[in-house]
Amino acid sequence: MELKYYRYFAKQYPLTVVGTLIILIIGLVALVAPLISPHDPLQLHLADRLLPPGHTYLLGTDEMGRDLFSRIIYGARLSLAAGVGIVSIAGIFGTVLGSVSGFLGGKTDLIIMRLMDIMLAFPSLVLALALSAALGPNFRNSILAVAVVKIPVYVRLVRGQTLSVKEKHFVKAAQTFGASKVWIISRHIIPNCLAPVMVQATLGIGEAILIAAALSFIGLGAQPPAAEWGAMVSVGRTYLLDQWWYATFPGIAIFITVVGFNLFGDGVRDLLDPRFRH
Amino acid sequence: MKRILVLALCVFTLFGLAGCAQSANTPQTASKQDQPLVIATSADLGSIDPAVAMDNAAWKISYPAYDRLVNFKGSSTDVEPSLAKSWDISADGLTWTFHLRDDVKFADGTPLDAAAVKFSFDRLLKIKKGPSDAFPSLENVTAVDKNTVLFKLKTVFPPFLSTLATNGGGIVNPAVMKHEKDADMGQNWLATTTAGSGAYVLAEWVPEQSLKLTVNPNYWGSKPKLNTIIIKIVKDPSAQRMALEKGDVDVAENIPVDQLKELKKNPDLTIFETPSLMVDYVYLNTQKAGLKNPKVRQAISYAVDYQGIIDNVWQGNATQMRGPIPNGLWGYQPDLLQYSRNVEKAKALLQEAGVNNLTLNFMYSDRKPWWEQEAQIIQSNLADIGIKVNLQKIAYAAQREKIDKGDFDLTIGVWSPDYADPYMFMNYWFDSKNFGLAGNRAFYKNDEVDKLVRKAASINNQTERIELYKQAQQLIMQDAPYVFLVQKKYQLPMRKSVQGFVFNPMLEDMYNFQAMSK
Repeated sequence: MELKYYRYFAKQYPLTVVGTLIILIIGLVALVAPLISPHDPLQLHLADRLLPPGHTYLLGTDEMGRDLFSRIIYGARLSLAAGVGIVSIAGIFGTVLGSVSGFLGGKTDLIIMRLMDIMLAFPSLVLALALSAALGPNFRNSILAVAVVKIPVYVRLVRGQTLSVKEKHFVKAAQTFGASKVWIISRHIIPNCLAPVMVQATLGIGEAILIAAALSFIGLGAQPPAAEWGAMVSVGRTYLLDQWWYATFPGIAIFITVVGFNLFGDGVRDLLDPRFRH
Repeated sequence: MKRILVLALCVFTLFGLAGCAQSANTPQTASKQDQPLVIATSADLGSIDPAVAMDNAAWKISYPAYDRLVNFKGSSTDVEPSLAKSWDISADGLTWTFHLRDDVKFADGTPLDAAAVKFSFDRLLKIKKGPSDAFPSLENVTAVDKNTVLFKLKTVFPPFLSTLATNGGGIVNPAVMKHEKDADMGQNWLATTTAGSGAYVLAEWVPEQSLKLTVNPNYWGSKPKLNTIIIKIVKDPSAQRMALEKGDVDVAENIPVDQLKELKKNPDLTIFETPSLMVDYVYLNTQKAGLKNPKVRQAISYAVDYQGIIDNVWQGNATQMRGPIPNGLWGYQPDLLQYSRNVEKAKALLQEAGVNNLTLNFMYSDRKPWWEQEAQIIQSNLADIGIKVNLQKIAYAAQREKIDKGDFDLTIGVWSPDYADPYMFMNYWFDSKNFGLAGNRAFYKNDEVDKLVRKAASINNQTERIELYKQAQQLIMQDAPYVFLVQKKYQLPMRKSVQGFVFNPMLEDMYNFQAMSK
């Protein structure tokens, strides 16, 4: 029965399965990075700089003689941490703000939503860039910056959901029994808004990774010598004419990861969102 | 379908990311009769007013647009007559009389006379920005008659004649006062235009794109061979390289040293190489608690892998500095102490100093492409002796500001002399009057060194000065306020057709356009 169900699922949603596999592999790579990387990602081998892909250095070396393969493996940790971290922070704050805003209504609602509108009026990359520069360029701040920028998406989503949930009988009943607002929001409203938040979050991880990589690319994210994919593409770009491998492999890593998360997110939406069910 | 779209979007975003920093410059086509010399450079220029500009990039434009009383001779550190035919010095060394040529006109046709010389120096001293620092002892300038100017000095200043050849000594047309606004002596106007008597005038400046120099019709010297010179701003080094290989530009200034080896294989290109006096060194903020102890600073100097930096970052195109004064300038001491990598000794010194678990910030910017590599090597070298270094990359303007305020532990910079005198190194870097951007960027104070370098700056006898600077250098090497990294070679890739370029180590990144041809 179970097996049959999976087989059916794989047939119906082959791309989702591919996406899930990609994420699982990358997650595993990140987890066991120290075990599988052949070299220390930060160790300089000055005599071996800019070597092409070969036997000792599978994907070649960078301008400081560091092993690119090991750096890409370790980079998975940073990129996954960035992606998951961003959507978690944005998701949690967005859900709380959205449910409070929707449930309380009135002035609170007005203030929160107008603030969110202001944030949505900026292109997300530009706002993230400004915030990251203001906080001081490092990896943690770049995650915070992108998370803040992504909050409005969740606020709007949860607020809309809250407006419909709060008219439901069980909420009305709880109110009649004199339940506190905090209790109702945390026990009734938020649990009933979680499904769309999960969909939004999985769909958002890919984009979050991309923005975090973009920030590192322009020097506002991870700082050297951290093995971050976006930063590696950025430095490798200078060497593109003679050492094609330097920028190419981290670029491919970003590409595969983001595609994986997007395919997975698509599948999760299809499963959880009734409107998209065929 | 939707998923394919998502996939396609991913691909586009990725390419967008990689294309972020590509410049969109398209090559300009030139007419056949007047082939301009095209130079690619990486950044637009600031003010080109000789009394304001402190940047060799800006001097590239102003130096050929103005004349000076004297010029640096060819590639040497000597000076030769220019506007001044000859000069006399009073017995006490305080009064200099210059006899001017009588055939010089500014680009607008008005004659250049003693009054214009007086005006230029009065203006320089009144504006009192960076370029005036080269004339610390100048009291006043008087125009005796039409072709005679008298410079009066407060104290003896040995490099005085050499400082007259710096960009700040450029003679400005007094007509700029017509463009004065808010008593700025025409600074605003001269920031983007030229008013001199030099071989070229600035004809056009399209911000962030290009600058165009054309021949000054009233130039008094021999007629330059090149009618037009175009400085093109091409931000991306790869784009510069491709433009150079295609022949869209004749000279490319910002190709990283890593790529020069490949360029040498191209038969149409040549790489101009010569020793320079430009040095690259790390400032240790001697006022910070962790770096106060000279033993710690010595340990840092012993930890750095100089040979690794030379072999890898510089691909052999640099030599390790021996003390502050570069090889090729008088005052250089061939037998001065030179630190070399010695991890054991460095660890022992740290132990003597009683320091463990030291954490330092290393601040740098991307102004010079090699700084990041050097910073990472030094980070790894210092980790070997147990000092943890956090790298901190910031914008160049912010780096300068923090250097001025002393808000850093370690940072890195380059220095090249503007005139041929060890004063440019010894007094700028070590005199405790010059804290911050002025030159003493290690915030180093040693009363004995102060006394020695100040004395050396007040006498004209070169042998005595060498001895004083030698004593100062010996003290300095024990105090190790800087990590003296490398003296770099000057390398400039250009098309083989470019002829007549002469490099003068005082004029780093600048050109002798009037003698060049293509």
